[in-house]
Amino acid sequence: MSFLELTQGPLWYLASAVFVIGVLWRLIGILRLGRSTDRSVARASGLGGALKAIALHSVPHGGNLKRTLYHFLTGYGFHLGLFVLLFFAAPHVAFIKGLTGFGWTPLPRWGFLIAAEAAFAGLILMWLRRMTDPVMRRLSDADDHIATWLVFVVMLTGCLALQEAHDSLRALHLLCVEALMIYFPFSRLMHAFTFLFARAYTGATYGRRGVTP
Amino acid sequence: MPSPIALNASALRAAAHPAARPVAAWLMAGVMALLLAVFVTVALALAWAGPAAAQTVRPPANATTNILPPGPDMQGGVLGNLSDGTIWHNIRKGAAGNSQDLRAGSGVLIQSQGDDWRLIRDRWVLPIAWKVLAGVLAVLVVYYAIRGRIKLKAPRSGRVIPRFSLVERVVHWFVASLFILLGVTGLIILFGRPFLLPLIGPGAFAVLASAALQGHNLFGPIFIVSIGALFFTFARGNGFRWVDLKWLLKGGGMLGGHASSGRYNFGEKSWFWWASLCGLALSLSGLLLLFPDHLPGFLQGASAEVPPERILMQWATLVHAIAATAFIAFGLGHIYLGTIGMEGALEGMTRGTVDETWAWEHHDLWYEDHKAGASTDTSRAEVRAAAGDV
Repeated sequence: MSFLELTQGPLWYLASAVFVIGVLWRLIGILRLGRSTDRSVARASGLGGALKAIALHSVPHGGNLKRTLYHFLTGYGFHLGLFVLLFFAAPHVAFIKGLTGFGWTPLPRWGFLIAAEAAFAGLILMWLRRMTDPVMRRLSDADDHIATWLVFVVMLTGCLALQEAHDSLRALHLLCVEALMIYFPFSRLMHAFTFLFARAYTGATYGRRGVTP
Repeated sequence: MPSPIALNASALRAAAHPAARPVAAWLMAGVMALLLAVFVTVALALAWAGPAAAQTVRPPANATTNILPPGPDMQGGVLGNLSDGTIWHNIRKGAAGNSQDLRAGSGVLIQSQGDDWRLIRDRWVLPIAWKVLAGVLAVLVVYYAIRGRIKLKAPRSGRVIPRFSLVERVVHWFVASLFILLGVTGLIILFGRPFLLPLIGPGAFAVLASAALQGHNLFGPIFIVSIGALFFTFARGNGFRWVDLKWLLKGGGMLGGHASSGRYNFGEKSWFWWASLCGLALSLSGLLLLFPDHLPGFLQGASAEVPPERILMQWATLVHAIAATAFIAFGLGHIYLGTIGMEGALEGMTRGTVDETWAWEHHDLWYEDHKAGASTDTSRAEVRAAAGDV
């Protein structure tokens, strides 16, 4: 079995299993916590508050634009770039089609490059902010750094394999992806799923009180 | 001239500065991790490059080529037709023939400038470049072995002064990150063939070169943005003044005596302008190399015989290599002095603050203007630095 076959075969299925089971385990665990009964008469819709919180917390509001502009630009640059790369890069579309049989139109190369530039610049700048801002630095722990570096290495190896001419580079990228998938459920990377829960819960709580979150 | 900084026991205790080590350590760990990521990627790629050995671009020995079998030469005649020898001589000299492709240069079979470019690159640029880089490294190693770390002459005061804002530090480390990524991949592209190919073989080198090229092309555009940000962030205070000449004449204090300087000394200012100019040259030549088919109008149509993008790319590769060598060579000195070469220098770029003693010994004129802001509350000083109170 070659290295590529190993990463495309057993290791891929192992990582996928850990990822799916781990994420479900975490999400079900959160949902099972439930919420305390609110005996007060609701002044407004909890659902409305939840939807409002999800939308409002996605953009700077309440005069916070100046203070959060850096996070806003680098955060969206990284997350949108990564999302576009993940689902619309031509090699990824082909890979997903090979796995599931479903495919869609991939990005042209220029689109890939713009997304990759935004994702790399955003990730590096966010980590530098984490390291140089005295407050951010004290709030950060090893998980923040490990997650950042794992994502960086995944993106780096993916871009190094962009020529799609060498099996070893493809296998190396897959290996890094699999390491990330195994680490994902046990880290703050789970925010990719839990951010909706958190915002909706807060928004619903405040919404019932008739307060804009 | 003695240091004007009063010392006391509490200040000395504060000088131990426990917060300093984690920041510097984390940032250094980040830089080391970046280097490690590149090297691990390279090492793993090489380790598993075995299958790629079969992917060499050289044709197999028994391949059928398009070289025609030898036949009788056509001789020149009274009708004015040319002999084969003359035809090939003219082609070698860059004569243009006819082609159905009407773009500039399509009728030129052999571009002689290309051979000139190759000779300049292989016989001049590459040998000089690696000798310059190796020479700088050797000088730094020897200097460190003889002189050791430049330590503070007086003990630390324990009072720190905000020196670099959050924006300045982020921009600096952003450029530094890209410098490492582009430097490593660029050196592989530039020197891989003469140095790495004989060591690791064609299969592994093909993998490495492919990875380096893709990485280099990808990070290049971000570097252009970062170097622009670097220029506008640090331009203030980097203009040359008379005091810089005095600093230079005293060898920055290495020839004895105290060399005064403001916020930046002559060496730092030189590095700023050197990096800016090299960055500009690298950016322009890099753009030409990345987008040869999208040249602006004024660069097109320069020659009917040779496509302008081809000549420009030849120049661009030479400019790119020379500017990169100059940038890296000076950059090695900057990295040395900023890390192991000088006590207290790294703290300014990690925490944003510097010790009062360091400030006075290395930037006394700047210190005189800012000594009122010195504080033993290092955490608060860091927050002030981050907020831009520098």
